[in-house]
Amino acid sequence: MLNGFFRKVMGGDKTDSKEVAKKRLKFALIYDKLEVSDNTLKNLHQDIVEVISRYFEIDQEAFKLDIRRSDELSALIVNTPILSAKHKSAGPR
Amino acid sequence: MDGKIIVITSGKGGVGKTTATASIGAALALEGKRVVVVDMDIGLRNLDVVMGLENRIIFNVVDAMKGKCKLKQAAIKDRRIQNLFLIPASQSDNKNVLSPEEVVLFSEKLRREFDFVLMDCPAGIERGFENSVVAADEAVVICTPDVSSVRDADRVIGLLYARSITPKLVVNRIVPDMVEKGDMLSHIDMVDVLSIELIGLVPMDDQVVISTNTGAPLVLQKKSMAGTAFRRIAMRLNGMTDLPIRVPKSQERFWKKISTRLGIGK
Repeated sequence: MLNGFFRKVMGGDKTDSKEVAKKRLKFALIYDKLEVSDNTLKNLHQDIVEVISRYFEIDQEAFKLDIRRSDELSALIVNTPILSAKHKSAGPR
Repeated sequence: MDGKIIVITSGKGGVGKTTATASIGAALALEGKRVVVVDMDIGLRNLDVVMGLENRIIFNVVDAMKGKCKLKQAAIKDRRIQNLFLIPASQSDNKNVLSPEEVVLFSEKLRREFDFVLMDCPAGIERGFENSVVAADEAVVICTPDVSSVRDADRVIGLLYARSITPKLVVNRIVPDMVEKGDMLSHIDMVDVLSIELIGLVPMDDQVVISTNTGAPLVLQKKSMAGTAFRRIAMRLNGMTDLPIRVPKSQERFWKKISTRLGIGK
């Protein structure tokens, strides 16, 4: 606006500190929302093991569940060795 | 009577919740409503001193909720503003002394006696917060234009949504000069970040400190810009939803400002 115009006329080109604040806030809020409590993770672990076990014989000890974060995205990584497929009761409950 | 329960909250402490509760409560009473403000900050009471009623406490909110006194005994009547009452917090108890069930039960009683019940929520998101919001119909989130306050407000807004309450935002302690220079988050930035409906903008005002010093109601100070802003917020809460929201403007004169910018002035 007017202020921006005058700033340019005066030759100053510093970024508004509030723009920095806003950018930092937006990132902080996104990160805050990605945080998952240990308890939630534990429950999810149990639920996933239960569902997969309906279809496969898995090594529950070796089952791994992780949330991996990078700058651009967050991913849920599930890794489990399959011992054998279940043929009889496969399908929805 | 079937009054409305409104919680005033923020997450972060020290952003002006108590002043806002006292002022909005007083302003609603000036609108002719029967109002009670309840200090839910058990163990750290402050609403009483801000309202200048600290000398008149006999019973408190814990006494009232535990049935040790009657509601009428715990509600202190403000002698300067008609129809304004305060139920103070207890200073000796622990935050966990009250259960949400007790609060709900007591709130139903308050609802029958008053048009508006304002709950002054403690900082934090623990039991005190839980107790303050458990019976609320509406919520007002107070936030100052700084990163820590906005972040905490976002957290609290999320918790309110989880309880099916859609909160409204008051931006407090706006310094128009700094906003105009781009050195303070504007209300537009804050609404953008928090995605929440605005209900009022309150400028930084020395009169708040002066009123708090003496315990005089801010909304009775004719020249107080913050007082006026709180009165307008109260009018909106009272149903005048189309009352325009005034954006605090710099007090500095236009020409003086331009000459300063051009390097002529001062």
